[in-house]
Amino acid sequence: MRKTFVVLIAVALVGSAVMLAVGPRLAGAQGGGTVEVEVKYNGAPVVEKLKVNKDVEKCGSETTIDKVVVGGNKGLANAVASVPGAKGGKAVKGMIDQHGCKFQPHVVLMTPGEIEIKNSDDILHNIHTYSTANPAINKAQPKFKKTMTEKFEKPEMIKVTCDVHSWMLGWVAVTPGPAAITDNNGVAKIENVPAGKQKIEVWHETLGKQEKEVDVKAGQTTKVSFEMKGK
Amino acid sequence: MVRLGVCASFAASLSLAAGSQAAFAQGDANAGKAVYELKCAGCHGVKGDGKGPAAELLVPAPRDFVSGIYKIRTSANKTPSDQDLFRIISEGMPGTSMPPWSVLPEKDRWNVVAYIKSFGGDKLKEPAKKLELPKEVGSSEASIKRGKEMYEAIECHKCHGTDGRADGPSRSELKDEWGHPVAPANLTKRWTFRGGHSRTDIATRIANGVLGTPMPAFLDAVEKPEDIWHLTNFIVSLGPDSPQNATLVTVTAMTEAIPDDPNADLWKKIAPNNIPLMGQVIVDPRNFNPVIDLVSVRAVYNDKEIAFHLTWDDPTESKGDGKATFPDAISLQFPPQITAGTERPYFLMGDGSDAVYLLRWEQGKGVMEISASGPTKLAPIKGGEANGKVVYANGQYRLVMKRPLAAQGTDRPTFRPAVFTPIAFQAWDGGAGETGTKMSLTSWYYSRLEEPKSSRKFVIPPVVALLTLAAMVLIVRAARSRATNT
Repeated sequence: MRKTFVVLIAVALVGSAVMLAVGPRLAGAQGGGTVEVEVKYNGAPVVEKLKVNKDVEKCGSETTIDKVVVGGNKGLANAVASVPGAKGGKAVKGMIDQHGCKFQPHVVLMTPGEIEIKNSDDILHNIHTYSTANPAINKAQPKFKKTMTEKFEKPEMIKVTCDVHSWMLGWVAVTPGPAAITDNNGVAKIENVPAGKQKIEVWHETLGKQEKEVDVKAGQTTKVSFEMKGK
Repeated sequence: MVRLGVCASFAASLSLAAGSQAAFAQGDANAGKAVYELKCAGCHGVKGDGKGPAAELLVPAPRDFVSGIYKIRTSANKTPSDQDLFRIISEGMPGTSMPPWSVLPEKDRWNVVAYIKSFGGDKLKEPAKKLELPKEVGSSEASIKRGKEMYEAIECHKCHGTDGRADGPSRSELKDEWGHPVAPANLTKRWTFRGGHSRTDIATRIANGVLGTPMPAFLDAVEKPEDIWHLTNFIVSLGPDSPQNATLVTVTAMTEAIPDDPNADLWKKIAPNNIPLMGQVIVDPRNFNPVIDLVSVRAVYNDKEIAFHLTWDDPTESKGDGKATFPDAISLQFPPQITAGTERPYFLMGDGSDAVYLLRWEQGKGVMEISASGPTKLAPIKGGEANGKVVYANGQYRLVMKRPLAAQGTDRPTFRPAVFTPIAFQAWDGGAGETGTKMSLTSWYYSRLEEPKSSRKFVIPPVVALLTLAAMVLIVRAARSRATNT
């Protein structure tokens, strides 16, 4: 009797250890839900076009600064939808590439921790961040430095520029909980959101922030829509 | 026992020295406030936000201490060391409006350090971490060569230009943390480096970047750590340590013909007279932030002509669009007639009662002779005989302006050897919007044409010596004969 009890405990311990290790993956199945966020914008897109005066072979002779990208059905792209109240969840490493003298993607999502910064252009770029919660960095990344790793430990929306090519603009969204970025139709699917009442926050680099509360049900998809206003 | 005593007193003296330094280094922010409000607030603002009453005229703008962003650091993190702040206060920042405050007692300066740090609050709560530079590499031909390769490989020229004259293609796009346009350093003028120009200063700036500006940190971005020093050695090789300003413009006598070409070999053999220029701030519109701060003058003459070879840095070659930009230009100014005495026309391009004579070059118009009776009252002189040639490359103009030595009329001077001739300079960077009274200029200087080269200097002194000897002999003889007579 006593033996079986010990075995049972051992099995429980191992089981919970396994659960802990693969926990985040199972979180959705274990009571998390999906929130489908739709973000609309009624205004006009803001995409500045400009002529390039250097590195034309890498950057092209014309480029754009994508400040407000509006896709099909008035959907707002590049907005970050997150659940500020939910902590933990899957760790996401950031990854940004400087390609064609643009930051790709325009908005990078990551959980606090490391970000890999690539330079696939074979010319000098510099990673210049405008952060306050995290240490601001301005580091050169010449052609032979293909990748570098930086740490952003604090939740923050970080603007990234390159002073060599002043049109280059990107954002790193450091969010501790589940989050997603809207696609060209203005839709973002946040997975593994804990069930219950949750605040959903939508942030856009020029249009600001909005919040709404939704009731998340385990294993189901909850829809919520936002309409951002021009400033 | 004795040894112990010596040890104890040594330790005591050590701790005393360390103690006094620590006392200074900590500074008293309250005591610093009084000094700050008297000496610093005019530019940096009472709140330390860089918005003092004088701020809007200053480029670069005064530091905003509230941001906690400091350009010149020897620390690897955002927080500068107290010594970094103390040094800038004591030595000032060359090329900016920040003067050295070494006139203040050392204690006051440490107190100001403590006070300005308090503006940054939490932003400076992390203590300064010392930046470790790679092992120093001395300068050598090989090191300079490697530095040049690295300069090209890591593309310093994007901002600083091919020859380091701050004329790179990204120049016009550069902005600081506050969105103000900011110019890259001219690497050929080390004396204008904001954080000093010792080799360690330069290596630190390359490794660490300049916070709040587009200059990034290169410590992890060079191929090998010691490349920081090769780059330093290359930058040091780009120009002299100081501007070596001239006090007199010497015009060298020569017998050969004078070449028009600004790149001709002759000009390399003649020592430059470096003349510093200032912004014109007497009449509106004023030029508080002039671009052209130095003109190198090489001047020669022969029996027919006089020629001035001018070299100056200008990051943009501008013909002007007439709205935001204007043609680049430069003028040499002389009195219309060279007279004995110290009377000279008003230095700021003459006035209604006394005109000046200008030998002026303007982009698109070439070299002209002009009579000016004020900074905007220019009239070309009829029958002008001046000519010249200009070249522009990698952020630098080189210009030859030539004219016959002798001139007719009362509005043009004739140049004569061994006569001190007043001369003044004006320059315009049209690409930066300089035109009319918005210029760089000097007050009156003197130029002097050397005596013509002749063999007389080898003949006259020996003749004088011989005559003197003869006179002495005569006097001695006369004295002797008088002595024997009595």
